[in-house]
Amino acid sequence: MRKGLAAVATLLLAASVIAGCGGSKSSSSGTTGSVKEGGTLRLGTSSRIDSLNPYVAFNQDAYSTFMYIYPFLVQYDKGLNFTPDFATKWETSKDGLTWTFHTRPNAKWSDGKPLTAEDAAWTINTDVKYQGTGGANTAGLIAHIKSATAPDANTLVVKYEKPVGNVLSQFQQLAILPKHIWAGYTGHKGADLKTFPNAAPIVSGGTFILTKFKKDEIALFERNPNFYGPKPHIKGFGLRMFSNDDALVSAMKSGEIDAIESVPPTAIDTLKKAGVNVSIVPGVTTNDFIFNANTKKTNHRELLNLTLREAFAHAIDRDKIIKVAWLDNAKPATSFIPPATGDWHNPNLKPETFDLAKANQLLDELGYKKGSGGIRTADGHKMSYEVIAPNDLTGVDRTFQIIQADFQKIGVELKQRSLDSSAAFDVITAPDGKYLNFDLAMWDWVPLIDPDFMLSVVTCAQYNGWSDSGYCNKAYDAMYSQQGTTLDQAKRRQLVWAMQDKLFKERPYILLNYENWISAHSKGWAGFVSSPQGDFNSLSKDSFTKVHQTS
Amino acid sequence: MSLLLQEPGLLAGDRPARSRTGLLWDVIKNQPSATIGAVILGIFIVLAVLAPVIAPYGLHEQVGPVYGHPSWAHPLGLDDGGIDMVTLLMWGARISLVVGFAATFVSMVIGGTVGLASGYFGGRTDTVLMRITDYFLAIPDVPLMIVVAAIWGPSLFHIIVVIGVLLWTGTARVVRAQVMSVRERAYVKRARSLGAGNLRIILRHVLPQIAPILIASTVLTIAVAIFDETALAFLGLGDPSRISLGKVIENAFQRTAISSGAWWAIVPPGAAVALLILSCSMIGRAMEDALNPRLRVSHLSAKGFRLRPLVGRGRDAV
Amino acid sequence: MRGADYVIKRVAFAVITVFIALVLNFALFRLAPGSAVTNLSRVPHATPETKHAIAKQFGLDKSKGEQFVIYLKQLARGNLGISFENSQPVSKNLRTALSNTLPMVGLGTLFAIVFGTLTGVIAAWRRGTTTEHVTIATALGFYAMPTHWLALMLVIIFAGVFPSGGMVDDFLIDPTWFQHLKDVLYHMTLPASTLALVLYGEYTLIVRSAMLETLGEDYILTARAKGLKPRAIVRKHALRNALLPITTLIAISLGYIVAGSILVETVFSWPGIGRAVYQAVLQRDYPMLQGAFLVLVLSVVFFNLVADLLYFKLDPRIAE
Repeated sequence: MRKGLAAVATLLLAASVIAGCGGSKSSSSGTTGSVKEGGTLRLGTSSRIDSLNPYVAFNQDAYSTFMYIYPFLVQYDKGLNFTPDFATKWETSKDGLTWTFHTRPNAKWSDGKPLTAEDAAWTINTDVKYQGTGGANTAGLIAHIKSATAPDANTLVVKYEKPVGNVLSQFQQLAILPKHIWAGYTGHKGADLKTFPNAAPIVSGGTFILTKFKKDEIALFERNPNFYGPKPHIKGFGLRMFSNDDALVSAMKSGEIDAIESVPPTAIDTLKKAGVNVSIVPGVTTNDFIFNANTKKTNHRELLNLTLREAFAHAIDRDKIIKVAWLDNAKPATSFIPPATGDWHNPNLKPETFDLAKANQLLDELGYKKGSGGIRTADGHKMSYEVIAPNDLTGVDRTFQIIQADFQKIGVELKQRSLDSSAAFDVITAPDGKYLNFDLAMWDWVPLIDPDFMLSVVTCAQYNGWSDSGYCNKAYDAMYSQQGTTLDQAKRRQLVWAMQDKLFKERPYILLNYENWISAHSKGWAGFVSSPQGDFNSLSKDSFTKVHQTS
Repeated sequence: MSLLLQEPGLLAGDRPARSRTGLLWDVIKNQPSATIGAVILGIFIVLAVLAPVIAPYGLHEQVGPVYGHPSWAHPLGLDDGGIDMVTLLMWGARISLVVGFAATFVSMVIGGTVGLASGYFGGRTDTVLMRITDYFLAIPDVPLMIVVAAIWGPSLFHIIVVIGVLLWTGTARVVRAQVMSVRERAYVKRARSLGAGNLRIILRHVLPQIAPILIASTVLTIAVAIFDETALAFLGLGDPSRISLGKVIENAFQRTAISSGAWWAIVPPGAAVALLILSCSMIGRAMEDALNPRLRVSHLSAKGFRLRPLVGRGRDAV
Repeated sequence: MRGADYVIKRVAFAVITVFIALVLNFALFRLAPGSAVTNLSRVPHATPETKHAIAKQFGLDKSKGEQFVIYLKQLARGNLGISFENSQPVSKNLRTALSNTLPMVGLGTLFAIVFGTLTGVIAAWRRGTTTEHVTIATALGFYAMPTHWLALMLVIIFAGVFPSGGMVDDFLIDPTWFQHLKDVLYHMTLPASTLALVLYGEYTLIVRSAMLETLGEDYILTARAKGLKPRAIVRKHALRNALLPITTLIAISLGYIVAGSILVETVFSWPGIGRAVYQAVLQRDYPMLQGAFLVLVLSVVFFNLVADLLYFKLDPRIAE
């Protein structure tokens, strides 16, 4: 479970106006070699679809599923620009308060019922109406929407109460649901939205129909003959869920599956030897080392000192972590906007050098003398801290061990406190969302393409929301609002870079690394469209539309 | 794990009465399995205790590539962090043995006390305590351990307490049976009639008599405790900051050791655990056989047998 | 004590044990560290209003005593709560899981019983010879192996021969009944074998001992004096008397195996109740964990009760 993975739970805070004309650049990735039509692609994962209900689901696999079975207004193309899906073109009013989308005419759901702008309007209105209860999961996506209407079957008009800049990014994540199926599940003030199992076979409007689902086992998809968009080459695909990586890789080697969604680094060599195609692309998942940056924290206030944080940063051996925990399948990180999102990432930031001598020197200069056992004393107490670590964080144990060993050499003692995600979040925000108690933590982020969400997690308004650092800075908040209202893309970029610069200096996080995305497929298949989220992703329908068997 | 099996026809009572240590020594000498078990256990203990000194490499020291193959320098290969497996086994045995012994100590104290009180005082105390024991026995321990560990949080201390608190039932029953028989012995009755207080009688007369069987039961419990620790670690509930043998297996399992072909990351730690369990079982079984003739099977009574399908709890005394 | 008394006593014991398990179940989970709402809520970053609504929904704003009563009432209706993970009823999730576990576990126990009885008989028959020692040593050896490790060993050894995970080949489109059965059995072989290997040792030793006990009896001597062949003796007398402990053992072990299937199912990705427990632990899906725990306890208590009653039927003397 990674936070940020629930892209639909974005809480948009600031308003912004950005002229967003519909880009209708079509992405063309030619197919390689000969194309054999038909077949069923067997994809394996060690993650799972936790729920088929968009109001409940948290896992990435569920979102990727929704991408393929439901219509979305827009999707990303390979260059991470917005391109049509259910909406073919769109316009904004001059004041940015009204967006008009033109949707595909004569579209149908898989059960034959008409798929129109009314379904989109209904979905949006339902999400707005019940955002406090059953619709909490999508609340972030429909922020500031007043209403949505469908004046005719192919036109959707969305009215906002203030101008919102990343409208397209939001709609890229909002699955349009069939009104005729879901309309009856809004009882109990919308709470019923969450309890509807949405069991297979699902009435679908996307490229595929979800025909079969066995929890923790298999999800089978078949080509949707009624789909409005480009037809896929394959007849269908299946997502097979394994309870661990070993079983997954073994199945790939023995030919039980054709592709692996996410390959553990330790299996790369063995898969290559078995004649499997392994592809490695930069991903977006970013691992971090977190300081409690709340200036009001009660104990161990030496951790608020920026020089101390710089010293700690020099004591983290990113290269070794990448080598051991990720087997060289990651890159050192600087800011939580990863390079894979394009030019939102500030390229001028460089990771701190791993320099224990410098770290020791900085701490010496701060006057923290080393005492018994080589551990320094600060403000009268030993520099011994607890690091909260969610137990489902990949590679956390190895990473922590490396950091712990190196910190020992600079006179700081670290202890790992392993908790499940909800307990970890609780301890971080304790007491009562005030972020007073914790010292250090480790976690990860899975940023979206548009930087607004990531930038928001360290704003004051995200206390008890997405904030896991307790960072709250008025100047930063002002910059956040401003980037949200900056029309000029270049100017906005400068602001976003400046914000990353500020965070780099003030270090609520020491960003450790950007993980690569490693996927694999057997030689009999081609045409996958890779992305920072892998080949089976929630960014676009392209990949499994283009995938095909080679002769 | 226990096999309360006595070879029919061979009663330890047939042997001349000896001092307790004499009896123990007899056991070890006469039962070859016990000797083998003791030797194996001894080797492990020595290796574990001396691990910091004699381990060939550092515990967190990366000495080669991830899943490096076995070689002369590293006879058992390297794990997923490039750490020498032999070193890991030594340190792992340390934690596994610590957990095993500590948890068993907890269960011995609880079980011994319960059995003692139950057998000595009899009557209502006995009934109540035995009822409690029965209920404890009826609840499957592995799921309960998992639930408690999941809720309470993974740490060495928690694991030890959780295991210890669930394993005492077998010891309690065995001790109770022994205490009941001792209680009726002539010298105890005499001591009582002479006005000796309960505590004095317990300490001077009863305790020494039950010590051997308590030890035998304890040794068997150690085997189960070690198994339980590996099971909990395998399910991700072990202490993340300690390397136990169970954790080594879990690491390998989580980091695709098998599909990477790195069998050496899995076979040795599991074999080590199996050897530990086997040796403790052999010793305990032999001790039981020799020390308590009354524990023989009475007429095919299945009640005497408790299964340890995947985890054991000690046994009922018949 | 007369027969009826005994039965009543055993049933009462079972019922009380279940009640204790319920209290334990409730207490453990409501006492979980971390705010119960965060634990019970699937929207960790919920607004205070949402959190309050969820608290009300689960009755967390009431006293512990009231909560317990609600818990019991819901149990009586078969409502085990809602899984955090997919917001579906726990009982539904568990029912499927249990129906997947039972055949696999049953097969494993069957293997263990058959193999264990065979080796036990051999060991008893060939008393004092090398065969006996080897048989016993092997039995003890397997018995000592940690279950999950043995499972991994089998995966390593049989890689490519048997599937290393799953219950069915999900990509088998519209299989015939027979094809489906073959597929399931094929996938079931390794997990069931793991269970069998770990279990059979105890059966061996017990059967052996039971047989030895019987073989020492006078009437066996008589039978031999009468000229009855050893094989007939074993079959007619010794084995029959060994049936009693074996039968009750089967019943008891079924209860424990369901509990112990956790390790095997985790290794083999078998979608049964053991794996459900494992997933629930990973996700800290407390309602699922709570429900699964209850089911496991119930099965153990149930099978133990069956064992008690069966035993009583076979040997009424136990009631004294």
